[in-house]
Amino acid sequence: MDMAIQLTGIEKSRNGKIRVRAKSKSNTAIKLLIFVLLAISVIALLTFDYKDIDLGKAIADTFANIKTVFLAPKLSRGTLADILYQLLVTFCLGALSTVFGMILAFFCSLLCAQNIADKRIANVVKSIVAFVRAVPTVLWVLIFAISAGLGSVAAVLGLTFHSFAYLTKVYAEAIEEIDSGTIEALRASGAGFWQIITQAILPSSLSYMVAWTFMRFEINFTNAVAMGAAAGAGGIGFNLFMAGSFYFDLREMGALTYIVVIAVVLLEMLSTKIKSKAK
Amino acid sequence: MAILKFENVSKVYDNTTKALNDISFSLEEGEFVSIIGPSGAGKSTILRCCNRLIDITEGKIWFDGKDVTAMNKKELRAVRTKTGMIFQHYNLVERLSVMENVLHGKLGQKSTLAGMAGIYSEEEKLEAFNILRGLDLADQTYKRCDELSGGQKQRVGIARAIMQQPKLILCDEPIASLDPKSSKVIMDHLSNINKRDNITCLVNLHQVDVAMKYSKRIIGVTGGRIVFDGPPEKLDIKTVHKIYQSNDSDLITDVKVGA
Ligand SMILES: Nc1ncnc2c1ncn2[C@@H]1O[C@H](COP(=O)(O)OP(=O)(O)OP(=O)(O)O)[C@@H](O)[C@H]1O
Ligand SMILES: [Mg+2]
Repeated sequence: MDMAIQLTGIEKSRNGKIRVRAKSKSNTAIKLLIFVLLAISVIALLTFDYKDIDLGKAIADTFANIKTVFLAPKLSRGTLADILYQLLVTFCLGALSTVFGMILAFFCSLLCAQNIADKRIANVVKSIVAFVRAVPTVLWVLIFAISAGLGSVAAVLGLTFHSFAYLTKVYAEAIEEIDSGTIEALRASGAGFWQIITQAILPSSLSYMVAWTFMRFEINFTNAVAMGAAAGAGGIGFNLFMAGSFYFDLREMGALTYIVVIAVVLLEMLSTKIKSKAK
Repeated sequence: MAILKFENVSKVYDNTTKALNDISFSLEEGEFVSIIGPSGAGKSTILRCCNRLIDITEGKIWFDGKDVTAMNKKELRAVRTKTGMIFQHYNLVERLSVMENVLHGKLGQKSTLAGMAGIYSEEEKLEAFNILRGLDLADQTYKRCDELSGGQKQRVGIARAIMQQPKLILCDEPIASLDPKSSKVIMDHLSNINKRDNITCLVNLHQVDVAMKYSKRIIGVTGGRIVFDGPPEKLDIKTVHKIYQSNDSDLITDVKVGA
C-alpha cells in the first residue's frame, strides 16, 4: 500500500516499527542503573570474605532454624500479657514519632508547596528535606544516640526526624495537586493565608494526607521493632533481640514474630479501612 | 466617579513577555463591559491587575478613587473584599458543600481565626441561602460541589461573588466551558445582578455575539493594546477582524455586525 507517502515526521524505533513512545533519556538511564547495580552485586559476591563456610551445611542449618522459629513457636519467657505490654510500648514509639513528624511536616510542607510558598524558600526547604530523607532512619537514630544515648529517646528522635522529612514531601505533593485556581479565587476575595490553608487546602487534601500518615505509621511501627533490637529502645523488638541473641530461644522468637506479624496485619487492615472512609 | 480606572498600564511577565502595553480605560459605576480579543491578547491579565493578583510593571490603577498600585496589605484586602471574581473553571473547593463555598465570599470580612474555623453568623448563613435561592440552587445547598454540573458550579461561583457584596465583579470567560443553554442562564444572572444591585461587571468573553447582546460597551484587545472601545453598534466587521487579526471567513463566530 501507499503508506510511505507523506510520512515525514514519523519515526521508526530500532526494530523498524513505527515509534509510539515519547522521547526521553530515562530509558538509557534506567538501563545504565540496572547494569551498574548488577556489576556491583557481582563484585561484592566475588570479593566477600566467606571464612571457609561450608555453604551446603550453612544453608541446611539456616533452614532448620527457620523451621524451628516458624513451626514450633512457644512463649516460655514471660506471659502473653507481658509481651502484649511490650507490643504496646513499640506501638507507642511508632505513634509518638508519627505524630511529632506529622505536626512538623504539616507546617514545613506549607513552606515548600510550589503553589502557595515563595519559590526560593520552597527550593531551600525542599533540598534540606531531601537530604534528611536520604539518610536512613537507623543512621538518624545512631546520630541522636550520640547526645541522647542509645535508648527510646534516640529512637523516637530518629524516627521523628525521618518521618518528618518523608511526610513533608508527601504533604507538599498533596498540596501541589490542588488547582491553583481554587487558591487564587479565595485570594481574590480577600481571604488571608491561614484562612486559605484551613478553608481550601485542608479540605482538599486531608484524606490524602491521612492515608499517607497512616502508611508512615505502619513503617514507623516496624522500624520501632527494629530499633528495640538495634538501639535498645525497648518494646517487643528488645524481647526479640534477647530471645535470639541472648537466650538462643528460637521457639520464643517464633512466637514473638507471629505476634508482630498479627499486629502489622491488623494495622494494615485498619489503614485500608481509613483510606476507603476518607474519600 | 469612575469605579475602576486604568492609566497607561503596562505589564511585562518575567522581563520578557509584554502582556499589556499602555492600557487606559475607565469604568463608571453600574456599567456592564465586555472585553473581547484573541487568545493571549491579555484579557485575563487585565482582570488580574484590577485587584493586584498580579503586580503591574508601569502605570496606575484606581479603584473607587484609591490608587491600587500603592496600597498596603490591609487596603488591598479591602479592595479584594469589594471585588467579586468569577472564573472559567469555577475554582470552587470541590470537597466542600455548596453552602460552605458561598460562605467563602465572607472570608475577607472576617477575623483570621473566625475565617480559619469557618464560623459564620446565622444572618450570614441565611443571606447565603437566599442568594442560592435566587440562583435556583436551593436544592443543591448541602451537596458537595464535585457533584454539580458545570452550569450549577458556575452559579455557585456567582453566589460566592454576590456574597461578598461587591462593587465590581470581574468575570474571566465565565461561559467558556458551558453549553449554550447554561451559558444563557449564567449571562442572564450576571446581567440581572448588574441591573438589580447596580454592581459593575467587567467580563472577558470569547463569543462576540454574546458580548454584543449583553453589554453596553465592548473593549477589544489585541496584542496587549486596546484597539476598540465603544458601544456594540459601533463594532463593525472590519473592527472585529482587526481585533482577531483575521481575514474574511476566517472566523467561526456567527456574528451579525453592521457592515
Ligand atoms: N503567569 C504568567 N507568566 C508568564 N507569562 C504569562 C503569564 N500569564 C500570562 N502570560 C502571557 O501573557 C500574555 C497574555 O496572557 P493572558 O492570559 O492575559 O491572555 P488572554 O487574553 O486571557 O488569553 P486567553 O483568551 O487564551 O485566556 C500571553 O502571551 C501569555 O503567554
Ligand atoms: Mg484568559
